[in-house]
Amino acid sequence: MSDVPLDFGDPADLNRLRTEFRAWLAEHPLPERHLDEPAPVFLLRWHQLLHSGGWVGLDVPERYGGRGLTALHQVAISDELGACRAPGVPRIGYLAHALLEFGSEEQRLRMLPRMLAGDDVWCQGFSEPGAGSDLAGMSTFAERRGDHYLVRGQKLWTSYAQYSGLCLLLARTDRTGSPHRSITAFALPLDRAGVTVRPLRAANGDDEFCELFLDDVRVEESERVGAEGDGWPLAMTTVSYERNALDTGHLSKYGLLVERLRSAARLRADPLPDGLRSEIGQCYVDYEVLVAHARRRTAERLSGQAAGPESSIDKLLMTRAEQRLYETALKVFPEQLAEDGGEIFGEYLYSRAASVYGGTSQIQRNIIAKRVLHLPSSGQS
Amino acid sequence: METKEFVLVRDLLRSFAARFRVGSADDVKPSAGAAAQEALGELGLGELRRSTPPAATVQECALLAEEHGGLPLPTSLLGTVLLAPELLRLLGAPAAPGGTPTIALARDLRFPDASPSPLVAWDSEGADEALCVHPDGTVTAVGLGQAAPSVDLLRAIRTAGPARRVVGRLTLAGQRHWQAYALVVVAAELMGAARSFVGQSVAYARERSQYGRPVGSFQAVQHLLADATVQVEACASATRYAAWCLDHESPERALVAARVAKAEVNRSAVEAVYAGMQVFGGIAQTWEHVAHLYLRKVRVGATVLATTADLLTALAEPEPAAVAVVEAVR
Repeated sequence: MSDVPLDFGDPADLNRLRTEFRAWLAEHPLPERHLDEPAPVFLLRWHQLLHSGGWVGLDVPERYGGRGLTALHQVAISDELGACRAPGVPRIGYLAHALLEFGSEEQRLRMLPRMLAGDDVWCQGFSEPGAGSDLAGMSTFAERRGDHYLVRGQKLWTSYAQYSGLCLLLARTDRTGSPHRSITAFALPLDRAGVTVRPLRAANGDDEFCELFLDDVRVEESERVGAEGDGWPLAMTTVSYERNALDTGHLSKYGLLVERLRSAARLRADPLPDGLRSEIGQCYVDYEVLVAHARRRTAERLSGQAAGPESSIDKLLMTRAEQRLYETALKVFPEQLAEDGGEIFGEYLYSRAASVYGGTSQIQRNIIAKRVLHLPSSGQS
Repeated sequence: METKEFVLVRDLLRSFAARFRVGSADDVKPSAGAAAQEALGELGLGELRRSTPPAATVQECALLAEEHGGLPLPTSLLGTVLLAPELLRLLGAPAAPGGTPTIALARDLRFPDASPSPLVAWDSEGADEALCVHPDGTVTAVGLGQAAPSVDLLRAIRTAGPARRVVGRLTLAGQRHWQAYALVVVAAELMGAARSFVGQSVAYARERSQYGRPVGSFQAVQHLLADATVQVEACASATRYAAWCLDHESPERALVAARVAKAEVNRSAVEAVYAGMQVFGGIAQTWEHVAHLYLRKVRVGATVLATTADLLTALAEPEPAAVAVVEAVR
């Protein structure tokens, strides 16, 4: 952390953007979600509407379809969406960063504008049945055949693959080298022969998770992102951004619920027990600390610091805020426990995944100990 | 100020801290405190918040408070250098005729309320009087009595005498700014103490060997220190952002951010120091070791100005005034 003052942005400049965005929102209300419309389909319509107004990828350079502004501007938009109870910004920030950093110029020009516009929907093919916490131990293999590769293996927890057209896929390209240097990334079209997508039902009933079976799938050399062996650093960059509540769009979702809890504390006819009142206060503190933390990270990035291992701190703070928030919400709205299918109860179940996805809380602590605090290795790792 | 200029000021304070830090509780003596306070006075930092616009931003002041908290120092940077001068600046009052002021708090160290409970002069090393902000915004100057007991061995506190004179009166916005500023500066010093102590325990974990290997190589110890790091960084983000809000946002918004920061620090700075002490093990249980100086500071600090109970109750509901202001802006 820098020990000199940080610039959290020019409030006047950000307020101009907020005013402009509010005016646009007033003319473009949130679309109605159709009966039985799956959430990802509805969110994609919202994504495309936001993009039509120029409100997606504010911090992506203009030549790749963004607005060429800063992450601070993206934060302001995220705030505004939260304030008007709209779904958050599309969750593409971390994928966009991976392409920006590792894609070729040709790939960035071809892929980023379509990703930002919502013309292409992407998913992330990282985890495998045998490679969860030990991601580098993956066994999906891409065998080089002249100008193309043949990929064989299986991916798991590939969120929303059934609604996606492209997958940012990691596969091993070297059977003998060190695990961290033998992984390569690809942009795989999911309609390719040999790809099978099978949705998995999650604990909350959603079909977010998918299995991905890859059966001698042909991938062109031009679909490789970065060089052979760049897959591990690319994955680390992606998860670094994925661990930031801002880049994943979670922040505005939490903000909405915490305000619901605070309003309940004010409006409920039957008084809340004192313990519950301070628990709501604690949820608000956790949330506002997360907002402050996300802004600090944004300010640090603007001052030239790249996202690195300290993003594990961000992930643990996000998990702390989310899990307490939904635990408290069930106490404020106990009727959610009476019948299955309640929205808050569903999100409560999902909040239990926060300490697992994107690297478990234990993996995050290992990363902080080794790569932030530089504590000696245990020799067992 | 320019970054370069700020770095000079910060380094000045850093060298001062390295020179006057106490090595153990036995070094905390009245004579040593007075000498260190005199040397602090010579740095001339009291002028940082005296002019309008001030020479230093709140974010810069918070960073200096953090620096001061990093090492065990018996000096009053907060009371006499950062807090009382800001109060005089807000009032547009000239330098106090009574000499060097610090601030007055209720005997339980919270912001003074309407009750007639006796006051104390808080962080009173080198101070000649104390400024008390009453709930209606009136600011009075009170004289100093004898030294008052405190478990924070580094923080001088004295009983306060009757009001000598009325110094001025803060507007409602001024009161909010004052409370936010005081919360941020105190939170920053406590966060600096926790960050520094956790850093010392990390260094110790690399060196201290048991079972033939450094204790820092054990995953149980690593996870304890990782959690303490998360707590310290949460305090840092909340404090830094609240300080920036004071420089750039409305006093209402800044007060919310400052309450959030103090609530985070009340909880997490103490937890982080516990973790550091656990890593130091038996050595940190001795009188000679600095651990208890840090623990005393952060544990008492968690009650200073506003307790966790005060803050969480206030933050559990949207503030009516803040809601109105937000609506007006929109």
